[in-house]
Amino acid sequence: DLPPLGGYEPVQYKRNLPFRGFRPSYYLIAMGIVSAYGCYVAMNGIKERREMAREKIWTRIHLTPMLQAEADRDDVRRFWAAEKREKELMKGVKGWETGGVYNSDRYGFSGMALV
Amino acid sequence: MATNREPIFTHAVLVDNTPMPDHIPKVQEVGASSAPLTSTAFFIGDRCKPYNEDYMLCKHEAKGRGELECLKEGRRVTRCAASVIADINKHCLSEFRTHWKCLQNNNLELWHCRAEEKPFNSCVFEKLKLQKVIPDTPKGETPIHLRPATFK
Repeated sequence: DLPPLGGYEPVQYKRNLPFRGFRPSYYLIAMGIVSAYGCYVAMNGIKERREMAREKIWTRIHLTPMLQAEADRDDVRRFWAAEKREKELMKGVKGWETGGVYNSDRYGFSGMALV
Repeated sequence: MATNREPIFTHAVLVDNTPMPDHIPKVQEVGASSAPLTSTAFFIGDRCKPYNEDYMLCKHEAKGRGELECLKEGRRVTRCAASVIADINKHCLSEFRTHWKCLQNNNLELWHCRAEEKPFNSCVFEKLKLQKVIPDTPKGETPIHLRPATFK
């Protein structure tokens, strides 16, 4: 059990911490380029999404009058039916004015929803 | 506590089936569901622009009584939209069907169905002279329905 012939290798006892890597500005530039590319792609995507939203909104704008007119006809039909019913029910009551108690000529909904 | 209590009957749904009084002219309602309507929306907008704008102006000026006073404009709007759909059904039925079935499968998102939209738009333009225009597209850019597909 003797040491090997020629002895052991010398032990490294001095510190060895070499400076590594590129200049920090290079790293910043690389980050900037990658971010810029990402922003470019993102901005194009956002513009595309804006155009898609524009198309969707115009679809709805063109359809709104037709759908609103249909809903209006339904509302008016029910409104007149409710008014007629009210007149019929409150025929004998003195001092009852159909159309409610408000001094306004706005078209309005009654309290309970009769579909 | 005044929590929000909806003024509805909860024990039953009461449906009022009273018809319209006879002095109001009858109009055939547009029976289409959402996919065919989104498909033809721009063509309805193209043909019915004056009627639509007339109706919306009437509603705006009536200030609260629009439902009662704008019934006539509303009938015109419905008749125009119904005429567009009837014409498309007469002339371009198969392209129309493929397009709205594609839309129905894709959450009514128009960008999924560009391949079906192209022959439909060209058929409608040839036969009915109605064009799909997106009004506020920035100048110098192609409208989105004419661009090459970014992704499917």
